[in-house]
Amino acid sequence: MTILVAIWAAASELARTPLFPGPLAVLRSIGAGVHDGTLPRALAISAARLAVGYGVALAMGIPLGIALARSRFVKEATGPIVLGLSSVPSICWLPLAILWFGLSEWAIQVVVVLGAALPIAVATENSVRHVPPSIERAARTMGARGARLMLTVTLPAALPGILGGAKVGWTFALRSLMAGELLFVSGGLGQLLETGRDLGDTALVLAVVVVIVALGRASEAVLFSPVDRAIARRWGVEEI
Amino acid sequence: MTAGPPSSIESTVFAFAKAWGNTGVIPSDARVTHQPVARTGASVALEDVSLTIGVQGSVVEILRGASLRAAAGEFVCLLGPSGSGKSTILNLIAGLAKPTSGSVRHDETDVSGPGPDRALVFQDAALFPWLTLRHNVEFPLKLQGLAAEARSSRSMELLRLVHLWRFRDRYPHELSGGMRQRGAIARALATDPAVLLMDEPFAALDAQTREILQGELERIWSATRKTVIFVTHNTREAVRLADRVVLMGTRPGRVLHEEIVDLPRPRAANDERVSGIANGIARRIASEVEKVAREEADDAWVAPGARGSDDPRRNLGRGI
Repeated sequence: MTILVAIWAAASELARTPLFPGPLAVLRSIGAGVHDGTLPRALAISAARLAVGYGVALAMGIPLGIALARSRFVKEATGPIVLGLSSVPSICWLPLAILWFGLSEWAIQVVVVLGAALPIAVATENSVRHVPPSIERAARTMGARGARLMLTVTLPAALPGILGGAKVGWTFALRSLMAGELLFVSGGLGQLLETGRDLGDTALVLAVVVVIVALGRASEAVLFSPVDRAIARRWGVEEI
Repeated sequence: MTAGPPSSIESTVFAFAKAWGNTGVIPSDARVTHQPVARTGASVALEDVSLTIGVQGSVVEILRGASLRAAAGEFVCLLGPSGSGKSTILNLIAGLAKPTSGSVRHDETDVSGPGPDRALVFQDAALFPWLTLRHNVEFPLKLQGLAAEARSSRSMELLRLVHLWRFRDRYPHELSGGMRQRGAIARALATDPAVLLMDEPFAALDAQTREILQGELERIWSATRKTVIFVTHNTREAVRLADRVVLMGTRPGRVLHEEIVDLPRPRAANDERVSGIANGIARRIASEVEKVAREEADDAWVAPGARGSDDPRRNLGRGI
């Protein structure tokens, strides 16, 4: 890490062009952004969007995945569509979303939700389908059935797979959000990137990238690592 | 792996599952606060049971005219090759499947669905990986709405019975295959079932562990007097454990033969009388197994052992 930063610094010294700022310049730009409040504000706006969009994606994707795994009707009616749509890069929905909802919060959220919900649904479907049948048969002989069987046995048993889908969904949500924010005046980190480009301020662009990286790492540490550890402790590491 | 104190997020995630486990169908004021008197075995009867299922358009006959009776407290082993419908019989008794025709009765009443009076034990133990051993054993009691103290004392009693008390706070992946299987037996006994249905429970274990667990099971059965229906394709195992061995045939699954095993208990793993009876049954099975192998192989296939067998009458006209 230190070596990489040193190489970066040396390379930018050698390049001697404002298009390739060194780590110090980027750090100064972060400092300035924090000082005048633009960076924290943009971060807060993006994080709030992410929280809402990702929350909605989880709330839609997991039930959809369960329905796909358990209902033959749902599977046959929507399965191919879900699989097909999940391979469309979510940013492709932005033009349509803008036509429908205008340059609004809604348009961005549609892209974020679509980007995250489909991989979550596909992963949930797979992991619910692959719960060992003996686990569910055992629970049924004990008298569990219906929603109770699903919530107390099937979903906990499928949790490692669902968590994997949730992680993929998170990165998809973050990507979709940045792409969406780039395209119009939105106030988030994506727009700040665009501002940096307009001003030719490469240090600002890189500063925002550093903040996005930090956001990704922080969310990983806060949201997923504890759950990962809990699952590793219960299931044993080899099955993760 | 060392088990550290759970962090707040991990406990939240699993508290969700636990909370749902608590919302029983039984209202809280009607909760059972003490365990009912221990139930001994109840009789099980299948009469002329047939089961056919449709697989991709074609009809497959799983069982044809199978009849079977187990008296209360009897230990019955179902022995037969794969495809003889042994596991299907357990599913029928458990209420997880319904026969196409014929009747399946338990304690003189028709089986209409799964119930805590009949417990299943599987080859892969099927312990819930997200629960500790102790909470696995308590799970069926929670479903019944038993209060926490009663659950706890019952699970401790059962884990002592299977000698796993010391490991009560371990997760299933931290246990050996034999320990998991003992845990599964403890969980199956938790609701105090009258009938214990065991589907090749020791098949995935190494030979030594299997013999130890056979002894354990015999001891537990003697102590609880449950009716046990035990599926296996290991002849020795069947003879060592059973009061009666029911030999199943295949395609379609049906009952071929019954053999009473009238040997004193507890039986030793290396008992020669067990071997003697087992050899007798094995000869009977051989022709049945050969039939399956023939259907699954090319026409020219000849069962190894059929050539130059020590029983000349059986193989007359072949391998001479």
